[in-house]
Amino acid sequence: MLDVKHAAFQINNKHILKDVSFNLPTGQILGVLGANGAGKTTLLKMIAGQRASKDMIYWHGRPIESLSHNEKAKQIAVVNQFNHNVFSLDLEQIISMGLLPHQRLFSRVSAQQKHTIADALAKVGLLAQRKQAFHTLSGGEQQRGLLARALVQRAHLIVLDEPINHLDVFYQHQILHLLKQLATARGLCVVMSLHDVNLAANYCDTLCLLNEGQMLAQGAPQDVLTETLLQSAFKTPCKVFPASQQHALRVEFLPHSAPHIDAQFGQDNLI
Amino acid sequence: MKTPMVWFFIALALLSVFGGLFFGAAELSVEEIYHCVTRHCSQSVNEIIFWQVRVPRVAVGFLVGAGLAVAGATLQNVYHNGLADPYLFGVVSGAGLGASIATLLFTGSATVESEILSGLASIPFSIALPLSAFLGAFFAVIIVQILASKLFGNRTEQLLLAGVAVSFMLSALSHFILFSAEPFAANKVIFWLLGSLARAEMWFVWIMLPVVSISVVVLWLFGRHMDAMLLGDESAKALGVRVNLMRMGVLIICAALTSCIVAYCGGIGFVGLMIPHIVRNWLGVTTRILILGCVLVGGVFLVWIDVLARVLVENQEIPIGIITSAIGSVFFLLALNKVRR
Repeated sequence: MLDVKHAAFQINNKHILKDVSFNLPTGQILGVLGANGAGKTTLLKMIAGQRASKDMIYWHGRPIESLSHNEKAKQIAVVNQFNHNVFSLDLEQIISMGLLPHQRLFSRVSAQQKHTIADALAKVGLLAQRKQAFHTLSGGEQQRGLLARALVQRAHLIVLDEPINHLDVFYQHQILHLLKQLATARGLCVVMSLHDVNLAANYCDTLCLLNEGQMLAQGAPQDVLTETLLQSAFKTPCKVFPASQQHALRVEFLPHSAPHIDAQFGQDNLI
Repeated sequence: MKTPMVWFFIALALLSVFGGLFFGAAELSVEEIYHCVTRHCSQSVNEIIFWQVRVPRVAVGFLVGAGLAVAGATLQNVYHNGLADPYLFGVVSGAGLGASIATLLFTGSATVESEILSGLASIPFSIALPLSAFLGAFFAVIIVQILASKLFGNRTEQLLLAGVAVSFMLSALSHFILFSAEPFAANKVIFWLLGSLARAEMWFVWIMLPVVSISVVVLWLFGRHMDAMLLGDESAKALGVRVNLMRMGVLIICAALTSCIVAYCGGIGFVGLMIPHIVRNWLGVTTRILILGCVLVGGVFLVWIDVLARVLVENQEIPIGIITSAIGSVFFLLALNKVRR
């Protein structure tokens, strides 16, 4: 159970995040939505224990900051947007890094740990590519590889910063589907930031909509994804089609050249 | 890990150490070397040549090559930058400054006499030299860290640039000290700039061996943590690595390793930069195998480069740094060409 209580963060007296609160039961996926600069990454970093969060973020009742570096790594896995890879490690070497929190200085990789790595590779469908250099994998494969590392880490909370950025439609659905499966089957908490509100509506159990560092709305997708709230967060007009038997809730952002936008903002202001 | 390659390099290292004993100004036959190793040399002069010149020289050569390569490899991994090496952090010039000051104080070149100096004289020179070099290297590391974190924002690129600046500043300072206090300053400056194994003695080995071995073992133990740092700081932190502590620890160990080498053999360039890249291609990129490979390949490389330095020009020794720099520069042009393609 993840508890965020009045989370706030500021740099040089500028509020990046103000009074954000929510909780997330195990087995559920939380999607963090918001425009660029809304505070999504800062919130994720605080949850991951990478930003100061004194008594604001609790994991199973304990403040995240009170966990030691190693305890934190056993509980929380982070899949970042950008990763350095200067010396072309192969996929298996990267995935086996997930064992680090469970290893001692002198310990060798056990047969069981090798099995865990193979299992994680199979889970994300990358067993055949295990000896391939990480930087030669496609964006989707890299993202799945990092997810496999999180599985090997055996963490109970997975934090992902825009995990489906730069991925094609097939991989977007594949990764989100995998996360959904894992959350349900292993009772994991998953927190991720997303730009695509429709995918968020499809795969997240609960959403948190941020605007200029403040929580605009939080709750089930149908409560958060309303035209008023989305227009206010993204400064772009939109139309929301409620969920029906044929399809899930769907949001359509309208192009800026649409007649009603010209009417609202004045055409001259857009050029 | 490519196990057959590791065994090949272990065999090559043993052969190189043995092979290096055959080269030098005096001619020692295979039979004579066999006698020297098993019983006694047939002539007493050969006994001196073998045990007091050849053996320490090859041993020091191996330790210097291994130590510099390991320092370069681990710094490159923890700063995830292929250009990092002890030179770039001001470690070598800091150690050079410390060693220059110790040399002047302990060899009586300094004209200043005081109680402190006479007190210092009671410390054996063999201990004071590497200690002073380490203090110089440590001083350089601290200055570079402070400059980078307080002024330039602690990014690796800024840290390396600050290192280059500090390196030049400390070199200038040590050269100035040598020129103002030492009658044969030019020789000393050439020694610090280009390095040499010509002064190698057996007691160098007894000091360098524990320093290099302990440093290598400690760095090897933290190899997995350094691997995690290869994907960036945030990624490493998420795996429980205390990135700043790790980086500072590695830097201090590398400062100890390098300063011990520089104190006795001067600055030998390009080994720490070049060997790790070769080992990554041949043996693998993860830190533990890289460290093992650097010990073997770095050691072999310097033993043979030192042989070249001894035999390339008849009756004269070429400073070893000239050969390593010449090979290093060609290596980097080839590496750049490979990257371009």
